[in-house]
Amino acid sequence: MKNYKNIFKAITISITLISIGFLAACNSSDPKKEDTPELITKATLTFTPIGGGSPIVISATDPDGDGVQDIVVDGDINLAADTDYTLTLTLINELATPTDPAYDISAEVEEEGAEHMFYFSWTNNVFFNPTGNGNIDNRSDGLNYNDSDDNGLPIGLSTSWSSSLTVVSGKFRVMLKHQPDLKSQTSTSSDGETDLDIEFVINIQ
Amino acid sequence: MHLRKAILVLLILYSSLDGNSQSTCKSIFTGQVLDEAKQPVIGATVLLLPQNLGQVVDLSGNFKFENLCAGNYKVRVQFLGFVDEEFDLQINDKVNRVVILKEDVKELGEVVINAHHDAAHTEYANSFTQLSEKQLDEVAGKSLGESLKEVSGVSSIQTGPGIFKPVIHGVHSQRVLILNYGIRQEGQQWGAEHAPEIDPFIASNIIVIKDASAIKYGTDALGGVIVVNPPELPSKAELGGTFNAISQSNGKSGTVSGMLEGGIKNHDGWGWRLQGTGKRSGDFHTPDYSLTNTGIKELNFSTSTGYHKDNAGFDIFFSHFKTELGVLKGTAISSLEDLANAMEREEPLYTSGFSYRIAEPRQEVSHNLLKINGHILTKHGEWKLQYGFQNNNRKEFDIRMGDLAKIPAIDLKLNTHTLDAEWETLHSDKRTVSFGMSGMYQNNENIFGTQRLPFIPNFANLSGGIFAVTKLFLNQWTVDLGTRYDYRYYDVKGFDYKNTRYESSFSFNNISASAGATVTLPRNQILNLNLSSAWRPPHVAELYSVGTHQSAAAIEYGLLLNDSTNEVMNIKDVNFKTEQAVKFVATYTSTWQRFAFEVSPYVNYIFNYIYLRPEGITKNVRGVYPYYRYTQTDALFIGVDVTGTWHASSYFKVLPKVSLLRVSDVRNDDYLVFIPSNRYELAFRYDRPSILAFKNIYVETKLKYVAKQHRAPRVITVRQIIDAEDQSIDLFANDNSNFDFMAAPNGYGLLNLAVGASLKRDRVQYDFRIAAENALNQSYREYTNRFRYYADDVGRNFIFSLKCIF
Repeated sequence: MKNYKNIFKAITISITLISIGFLAACNSSDPKKEDTPELITKATLTFTPIGGGSPIVISATDPDGDGVQDIVVDGDINLAADTDYTLTLTLINELATPTDPAYDISAEVEEEGAEHMFYFSWTNNVFFNPTGNGNIDNRSDGLNYNDSDDNGLPIGLSTSWSSSLTVVSGKFRVMLKHQPDLKSQTSTSSDGETDLDIEFVINIQ
Repeated sequence: MHLRKAILVLLILYSSLDGNSQSTCKSIFTGQVLDEAKQPVIGATVLLLPQNLGQVVDLSGNFKFENLCAGNYKVRVQFLGFVDEEFDLQINDKVNRVVILKEDVKELGEVVINAHHDAAHTEYANSFTQLSEKQLDEVAGKSLGESLKEVSGVSSIQTGPGIFKPVIHGVHSQRVLILNYGIRQEGQQWGAEHAPEIDPFIASNIIVIKDASAIKYGTDALGGVIVVNPPELPSKAELGGTFNAISQSNGKSGTVSGMLEGGIKNHDGWGWRLQGTGKRSGDFHTPDYSLTNTGIKELNFSTSTGYHKDNAGFDIFFSHFKTELGVLKGTAISSLEDLANAMEREEPLYTSGFSYRIAEPRQEVSHNLLKINGHILTKHGEWKLQYGFQNNNRKEFDIRMGDLAKIPAIDLKLNTHTLDAEWETLHSDKRTVSFGMSGMYQNNENIFGTQRLPFIPNFANLSGGIFAVTKLFLNQWTVDLGTRYDYRYYDVKGFDYKNTRYESSFSFNNISASAGATVTLPRNQILNLNLSSAWRPPHVAELYSVGTHQSAAAIEYGLLLNDSTNEVMNIKDVNFKTEQAVKFVATYTSTWQRFAFEVSPYVNYIFNYIYLRPEGITKNVRGVYPYYRYTQTDALFIGVDVTGTWHASSYFKVLPKVSLLRVSDVRNDDYLVFIPSNRYELAFRYDRPSILAFKNIYVETKLKYVAKQHRAPRVITVRQIIDAEDQSIDLFANDNSNFDFMAAPNGYGLLNLAVGASLKRDRVQYDFRIAAENALNQSYREYTNRFRYYADDVGRNFIFSLKCIF
């Protein structure tokens, strides 16, 4: 019996000692807030009429990033018929502060132009130029890129468009692909990783 | 009594079939098989040649051949882990022999669970399978997870050709406990693509306990326990060692491993060992194309020293494991559209020629273990104390914008301290009792600088437990009883989807119990029954995960995330219940003449089983994503493992192996995904102890057939999800039962061939082995390989291996 008492005593003492030792250290370490430069929470399309006039600005905002809430588009793209436009794309991470380099993702895309490319598609011939339905389904379809990377390949942060001569409505899809070591004259919208893929409603009035 | 008569009749029948005359065949050959410590070697087989009469010894090591014809015989005694014993014997009237088996070179040291002959230990589990040193030699060069697939009832969840996670009876990850040299392995084991960080070359044997009887080792072992045992340290001043070199054609890999050990002159009892392994592999390939970016780099070493005398001893062990793994480049996916493209392609995107280059996506993992343990034998019993410190670092690099690819997307440091104390009574013929306690303190830290929202939060984990285990011996019955209480406390600090900080702390506690019985029946039959109840506190990853995971193209949410707002909730406000399992395993072993077989049916009912369930789709700027949420259900696992040996002739063996498993999601009347399908194996093996100067010559042909998993959830292809999305239909609105993106692949058969032999020169033994895996270069996909969506499995592989023992 004495034997068991001793053992019990020993166990109690060791449990107490260990518990004290462990409890003293039992707080998880403080995590530091990360910057999240890849997170795009807002994509803005600015159609600036070449002949002058106020630009048409449409944004798609993802209120919760990787959360369950869907992306919200703040309206349709309403363009005047038979008008030339320059489309500028701006990608922003609203989780970062505007002074932070992580805020403006479009600058990052331009810098890494050799790995990035925008693809576009639309329906119902909403554009007079380029003709067709865009280069998402077929890379060789016409598109008017205004910019290019170090290898002379298009990026697509700035593009030129002429709207249809008649009143028509359709869909307009913008896709940004990340194609490290893959981007070429012939790389398509199914190559690489998707950084952006949003569909808008477009009306030619 | 009448059973014995039955054996007699059968034996007579057998000998008459042999065509011998009955009148002279009345001789009896009895004996006992013991090891060098004079303990019975239970399970050893005694073969009488050339007639090929076989027997397996009983629990006391005894055997008895009756109705033998007088004459000259060759007697061969063998058991795994021991050197075969062969001698000539003239049998006339009554002959009795005691056979002493010597343990195989560097086999079975002081292990947590010793071989069968150490049945008096409480650590002896009820239902286990061993991978002996010999078997480990035959899988040398493979990772721990892949090696364990040799054990019946064990399969793997695979992520490409390099990452294998062991699955016991259908369950894995947090539900399988791995003991590395007696210390519970603590890495980031929650991830399905996180393989155990252990160099299999440190092991002299690996034991897989398939019931939950291993109550001593703590919580979590709902599926079973894998015990990795290094050999015992030498205690005499004799230098010894081994050297392994393995080359494989698939992946053009080379593995080199060496070990040196010895004692210290004039200091009997002291021993030391140094061990190291290096491995380099390039891209694996399927029969048709290369699996680009699947290379492996690995560098491991371990060192130990210790002192052992009759009644006391201690060891200090340190090991370092470091690996860099490429993840198939074609799986780098960031939206549903990409996923559809990747799955529809014949050959994965980015496929190029063979290279040793490892680029993004890739993993860098290191694991350090320091262990100090001691034991002392007093007249009241034996005391054991062990402390372990583990440091685990995991970095995952993804294909990211610009320079971001150079910084890890996941960067975690996990430090774990464990302390175990145990007291065990002296061994007796009646009972052995053991009490113990264990404590664990763990700290998980996200290393700052990933520039991404952390996938799991920082946390501290404090756990403690006490247990009592006893083993009773009642005639031919051995009864095991055990119970255990555990407590776990978590302190969590993290950032949610908005990058807003949250904090929480909570605890769990529960009781586990197990009861088992082993009975030895006449005619070399052993029946073992085990019923156990175990529980598992949830892992922080199951509670708080948020975001996308490497090559998953899916967003994962933990159990504590609100399903409409994503806000992190308090565990008290959620209907969460800890996972609890009741498992019953019966193992029946029987030997009759030249046949030996083991049948082991099992039932495992897991209450509140946690799994990732597909919930729906969500849109963000990159496109449409499926999302999964950790959910609870009740799951039923029913299966049976069968292994057999037929000594067709003195040198020729046929070894069938079958593993069947059925799993149901009971609560939802559904199937679960990634459950191993039924598998069958038939090996033909020819063994010769010696031919000319060669020893241990063998030729083996192994046929493996893996059936199609018919019990798989419904299929919803990625195209169907995209099309439904285009038409604004929510496929999951009315039916959120489990689904999979692709139908289960067809069943497949593989042919493996191997030949091996040993040569002894000047006290150095050379073991050679040449093998061909998937010899017919079959194209196939394995259901439990997470890359089955994107690429075929590996094609033909030739292996050349050399082992030197000195």
